[in-house]
Amino acid sequence: MIQKIKSFAFFLLLLLITGSFQKKEMDSTLVIQFRAYVHGYPLELNKKYQNPFGEAFEVTRFRFYTGKIAPAYTDASLKAKITSPYHLIDFSDSNSTRIELPVAAGNCHGIQLQIGVDSIDQSRGAQTGALDPAKGMFWTWNSGYINFKIEGNSPLSTQPSHLFEYHIGGYRNDNNTVWKVKLFSTNDESFLITKENKIVIEVGLDLDYLFDGPTPLRETSSCMMPGALARKISENFIGTFTGLTISPNP
Amino acid sequence: MKSLAVITFIGFCAVMWINIPFPFIIPKSFPPPVYRFQNNPRTKEGFELGRKLFYDGILSKDGNVPCSSCHQQFAAFATYEHRLSHGFNDHLGFRNAPGLFNLVWERELHWDGGINHIEVQPLAPLLDPHEMAEDLNTVIGKLKKDKTYPVLFKQVFGSPGINSQRILRALAQFTASLVSADAKYDKVKRGDSHFNQYEQKGYEIFQQKCSRCHQEPLFTDLSYRNTGIEVDSTLKDYGRMRITGRKEDSLKFQVPSLRNVFLTFPYAHDGRFANISEVFEHYNSGIIQSPTLDSGLRKGIPISSDDRFYLIYFLETLTDSNFIRNSLYSDPALHGEMAKPVEESH
Repeated sequence: MIQKIKSFAFFLLLLLITGSFQKKEMDSTLVIQFRAYVHGYPLELNKKYQNPFGEAFEVTRFRFYTGKIAPAYTDASLKAKITSPYHLIDFSDSNSTRIELPVAAGNCHGIQLQIGVDSIDQSRGAQTGALDPAKGMFWTWNSGYINFKIEGNSPLSTQPSHLFEYHIGGYRNDNNTVWKVKLFSTNDESFLITKENKIVIEVGLDLDYLFDGPTPLRETSSCMMPGALARKISENFIGTFTGLTISPNP
Repeated sequence: MKSLAVITFIGFCAVMWINIPFPFIIPKSFPPPVYRFQNNPRTKEGFELGRKLFYDGILSKDGNVPCSSCHQQFAAFATYEHRLSHGFNDHLGFRNAPGLFNLVWERELHWDGGINHIEVQPLAPLLDPHEMAEDLNTVIGKLKKDKTYPVLFKQVFGSPGINSQRILRALAQFTASLVSADAKYDKVKRGDSHFNQYEQKGYEIFQQKCSRCHQEPLFTDLSYRNTGIEVDSTLKDYGRMRITGRKEDSLKFQVPSLRNVFLTFPYAHDGRFANISEVFEHYNSGIIQSPTLDSGLRKGIPISSDDRFYLIYFLETLTDSNFIRNSLYSDPALHGEMAKPVEESH
């Protein structure tokens, strides 16, 4: 009899433990859709645009690393568990611009994410997946990932074929180009993520700010290595993240 | 009884197709290594795959430039008697190819320390248009089409597939295993041999004049220093500054190990010193003053002709013949053959 009670108590305890774990279980899904805009319209690669000075330009490639994404919960006791791996967002591949993230349910008012690959993950040796050096986002002579890459052409460029190329990276000291970003919904509303309510968050990037931000890129047609310039361009880049538009999954 | 257990274990591994562990032995008196084969457990099979890749031209664009073309075992894995090495299409490289040994103790690799992990180092020569001139995806494609590689990769990594990580980890199993710690110097330190009076005198001079940077037992402190050299007007190589972007690092290069020094001439990052005498003379009278010059070299290092005589005797005790003749490190295609013996020259 005692044995039975004991095992029953044990069973109860087990239920209790699993129950308390269940609360934090990552059983819900957050969908993040990255969208880039030029002059307020969705970016189209290889399309001719004009900057505010009437100078033509066209973007042929745009990719960046993001990772360590987690919801920002309104309930302070709900600490976001950061398990998300790195993703290479490549605007020539629409599949890559959408991330489905397993998260714990809760009320949120934004998300946190990292733009670029941080110093810990920069020196882990040979990687696979998004961080596979075969993706062409790794500098071989000065080990490190290119955190974002934007290429195109403009008659303004003094480079051969009027190309512009910005390969922005660097993780050491003052030249760090990795940013941790918190983005809140544009209208400051909170949103509830539950198992049933799959939320889609759209993260907008306003490329006008990249080109015409504090360090106007029309004066520089290339940046291909870590340094003070790369750092400044990364400040422009981080300014392109304008906020979130949140919608329930259609 | 013990041997029976070992045989049974190896038999078990063979039957289960489990790779045989291949423990890395840290030489006595050496510091703890930086690279400990984390996430890349060292196995005999992994080492052998890395070794095969190291000696195989398949990693290069035209098939003619394996890692071993610039890293020759008989030269302690430097390029013998070359200021700069020849790569794809006879292009000249940018820097003097360093010897490859005791790499697990290096937190940063290359003359400028630009490489932050031993596993990613091969990407630099592999993709450099003047060296192996290849593309990573092309290499993967070639290896996948090969008759033997897919089987070997499956055996080493436990599942089919070849990717950049597997290639790099296999190469690291080999290069990280290159340990040179069996020169006469080491035997003396272990008490298995002793210096003759010339070597002993040379050792004392070495400790007095050289060991501030060329620290035992690695014979380098792995720091970056400007040793009073001028920039080469064609190569325009400013060393560490290229990596950090800081002008304080202008003309600083990583202190090279003096182990196997008589096999790795010519010396310095661009091979500007043809022999050891030129190096002695540089420290004695050739230091060029500049803002980033190493503080200990402002007045140079007086090295008299007597000093040179004895130093040469000592430096010869750093030649590790067992390392350069070790068939474990040699081209597997020439298995059983001894590496080319090296004439003692200086």
